[in-house]
Amino acid sequence: MRAVEKREPLVPAWLRSSRMIALYSVVAGLGAWQLAYMGLARTIYFEAYAIHHFLSSPLQVIETFGELYRSGELFKHSYFSLLEFAYGFVLSVVVGIPVGFLMATQKKINYYLDPWVSCIYATPRVALAPIIIVWFGLGILPNALIVFLGAVFPILLNTYTGIKSVRQNLIEVVKAFGGSALQVFFKVMIPDATPAIIAGLRLAVGRAVIGVVVAEWFGAEAGLGYMVYFYSQLFQPGPVFVGIVVLVVFGILSFMALDKAQGWISPWYAYQVRREVHGMEME
Amino acid sequence: METPASKLSVRNLRKGFRSQRSDGSIQVFEDISLEVHPSEFISLVGPSGCGKTTFLRILDGLIPHDDGEILLDGKTVVKPGPDKGFVFQDSSLLPWRTVMDNVILGLELQGIDKREARRKATQYISLVGLAGFENHYPHELSGGMQQRVNLARALIVDPQVLLMDEPFASLDAQTREIMQAELLKMWNQTKKTVVFVTHQIEEAIYLSDRVVVFSARPATIREVVTVGIPRPRSLSVKRTREFLDLADRVWKIIQHEVLKSMGREREEGIR
Ligand SMILES: Nc1ncnc2c1ncn2[C@@H]1O[C@H](COP(=O)(O)OP(=O)(O)OP(=O)(O)O)[C@@H](O)[C@H]1O
Ligand SMILES: [Mg+2]
Repeated sequence: MRAVEKREPLVPAWLRSSRMIALYSVVAGLGAWQLAYMGLARTIYFEAYAIHHFLSSPLQVIETFGELYRSGELFKHSYFSLLEFAYGFVLSVVVGIPVGFLMATQKKINYYLDPWVSCIYATPRVALAPIIIVWFGLGILPNALIVFLGAVFPILLNTYTGIKSVRQNLIEVVKAFGGSALQVFFKVMIPDATPAIIAGLRLAVGRAVIGVVVAEWFGAEAGLGYMVYFYSQLFQPGPVFVGIVVLVVFGILSFMALDKAQGWISPWYAYQVRREVHGMEME
Repeated sequence: METPASKLSVRNLRKGFRSQRSDGSIQVFEDISLEVHPSEFISLVGPSGCGKTTFLRILDGLIPHDDGEILLDGKTVVKPGPDKGFVFQDSSLLPWRTVMDNVILGLELQGIDKREARRKATQYISLVGLAGFENHYPHELSGGMQQRVNLARALIVDPQVLLMDEPFASLDAQTREIMQAELLKMWNQTKKTVVFVTHQIEEAIYLSDRVVVFSARPATIREVVTVGIPRPRSLSVKRTREFLDLADRVWKIIQHEVLKSMGREREEGIR
């Protein structure tokens, strides 16, 4: 037995946490981009090929962000996109969850709806967007409809599978203690299906963001997707990147909100996910 | 005619299931009659698949039967309710509920005030030896602890009869013995009427006043063995001559039935 000398670690623990490592990674990536851009700017190609019409550096993007923010343009575009997203997403939830539930519990309804769901789900939304804009014109509502078409299916299908896979033995427990059909619904089916439904909401967020951008490319007078498209036509990469970054940040914030909601609705679920992801070695 | 001596009466019970295959239905119970006395501890044993679980589910009113009568305190059983407590095999705790919230389930379903229910649950949680674990989730408990919660959940509704379906089947041998002893202790305190299904003959004998042996399907009662061993019983009675003789007797009956049912299954397989 040799005594092992106890030493203070060189780097404190909080600087080595997964969050900090993620931060280092992002900073390093952006730094590399900035340096590469500055290097490129010193070469003769920069002028010769008018690179500044195609590329921007992180610092320039920050600068452009400031300009767009001060002029109020960024706010206007974000506001339009956010409204489209919110209308489309809320409609997806309001339609997707009840219809998914009905299809899972009522055979007849499933028979009627299943072919429609399969067909519309399989149709590329990009192909539907132009015709919807032809029908409804420019504005927030047609775009929200395109968002809806993208977001509703993951919610509907996950609700369907979630309800279908509710554990029968748990339903029987509530019945055995004299629970009514309504009690079975609220005390077993909803909680047991919640993780699947929230997974569907996560997928839907991603698809809704794509929906916003696609809809605005085909027809809009404002919005982040419109802004990205507009400035790329003008060969101004700065605002294009600003638009993309705002969309990304929005997507990430939505995911975080859903994770918070998940943790709040079903704290036990985190355990289950960890077990599924990592096998049984946890705890 | 109700004999007041019976807590639970099963009279001429018949039950079949419609089969998925074309040849109609499978008969589970041919003609079962059984009287269970108040505060009696009765065990059901029989070959696998003979219908023990089905029997308990019919007693609880979870599934309908075809013919015959089930009476609890002289009243026909029509549906599940707080007059019957069901202890399920395993993993039947609601995983999104804490121990406390699992235990109060039965009271909650009856619409009893939450605060009152929690007060009562605290009492039952400590009765099953889990005081201090009220806020744990099922996945944080061992198998034995989960079964204790399962038991507390059934006891709290203060049922007239406790129906237990192989509650200890998934436990290891030591935990199982401890749970058996604990169950007897609780039974002594509460004096519930218990119908207990098990695969283990020695468990059935150790716990019960009478052991009911089912025949292979279609099940009838092959024999009712009275266990005369005086109570309270310590775990060491399992090694006495009397106990071993009883176990041997029950074992022989079941073996005969198992062989019979295996023979029939082979025939069914050929068809
Ligand atoms: N819902 C059902 N539909 C059709 N057949 C069923 C149904 N439930 C049970 N059975 C059949 O009834 C028979 C008895 O089943 P049951 O589960 O009651 O047996 P068991 O004695 O509890 O078996 P084990 O000892 O394996 O637990 C089996 O042959 C089974 O296939
Ligand atoms: Mg069974």
